Amino acid sequence: MILAHLRLRRRVSLLAAGVLEGRERAQALAHLEACGRCGEEYRELVALVRVMEADPARSAEPGVPLALLVERVEREVDRALLTPRGRPRLWLVAVPAAAVLAVAAIVPSVVARFRPRPIASSASIPAAAPAVPDAVLDRLERNVARAQAARYLSQAGDVLVAVAATSDDCDRGAGTVDVGEAPHRSRQLLARRALVVDAGGEAVASARGVLDDVEHALREVAELPSCVRRHDVARVRQQVERERLLMRIRLMTRELEG
Amino acid sequence: MEPSREGAASDRDLMARMARGDREALAPLMERHYRRLYRIALAYLRSPDDALDVVQEAFVKAWESASRWDGSAEAGPWLSRIAVNQSIDRWRRNRRRSATFTPLAEDDHDRALADGGDSPDRGVAGRETRERLARALRTLPERQRAVVVLRHYQDLSLEEIAQTLGMSLGTVKSSLHRALHRMREGLQGAVPR
Repeated sequence: MILAHLRLRRRVSLLAAGVLEGRERAQALAHLEACGRCGEEYRELVALVRVMEADPARSAEPGVPLALLVERVEREVDRALLTPRGRPRLWLVAVPAAAVLAVAAIVPSVVARFRPRPIASSASIPAAAPAVPDAVLDRLERNVARAQAARYLSQAGDVLVAVAATSDDCDRGAGTVDVGEAPHRSRQLLARRALVVDAGGEAVASARGVLDDVEHALREVAELPSCVRRHDVARVRQQVERERLLMRIRLMTRELEG
Repeated sequence: MEPSREGAASDRDLMARMARGDREALAPLMERHYRRLYRIALAYLRSPDDALDVVQEAFVKAWESASRWDGSAEAGPWLSRIAVNQSIDRWRRNRRRSATFTPLAEDDHDRALADGGDSPDRGVAGRETRERLARALRTLPERQRAVVVLRHYQDLSLEEIAQTLGMSLGTVKSSLHRALHRMREGLQGAVPR
């Protein structure tokens, strides 16, 4: 009896999900007539399914034009073709290597602290210092910082292109366009900016001018509502064109990526 | 690129060309499927940025794996499966990262998604419900969430879900049943009936 109820309860869920047909559907419907608890659950499940059906994620449009997405994929494909199979990317090597080197640098001094000290003698030779050149660590940190800055600039470029290329009317009527997720993505990027610029220090010094102009443009976009007047989009587009920002982003990204 | 030729090419043709290393086949295949993959990833991850990254990674993966694609299978479900797997990978990475760093609040993503689509009078209630929906989705185990996404965001049948995820029909049914009940409990009182 209980087993039969459990089996039918599963069918009731599937009925609410809209995937039951024929005899199974008829059995589930009959069970709903007889079982008050399942009837209540069924109504809640149907309401849940309706909420999912109304979720904007079902019909959301990517915030980046297809052409840009294709370009990004092709760039990755080119990179994959140039990279021998199985060889990890720079940051995948740099970060663990930095961690290993840092541990290698710390462990000897920790061990030395707890090891009984030998009685010093004038003939004793001082222990060798940990063989981790600061220059190596500096170089790794610099590479990571530059890779982060390149990624930030590339993503900022995507946002600016998305705004500049948008032409979809939004519901508010003529003279307005839908800039979608661009303002939200600008705010997210601006939140990351301090990490990229301040933590990057000298490693990203050559990119400071572009980073500043990008920040200015992102602030403009971040202020926009998702449905915006055409001339506001035109203003951002003109700023991007006037400062040749996309070209400078592309050149600087390449330089940072080495 | 020749638009007329690309327009006539089937998914199978395009996959076969990709398997031979023809990069020109990538763009028309993306044009057909990128929206769908984006929506799968967005429903799964609830973050537009992460969803875009997943679409990009999925097509790179498709390119790399094209030579191993079984020519008798449909390309659509194969691409969906890649997108689901990439979404799961991304979800795990985000979770690991959030254990190390202060993450960008997940609620920000929920809010960004929940903001659209309502008239002002229904706006607040609808937004709150969708934020709770996002949270309820996040509480699901990875595979259960994938089943819900494919059923209720892509309208796939149980058989199509089983094919896409490589699961048995029975597992898909029980996963969907468990997932819906778990979400129902998470949304108790929030869903208008």
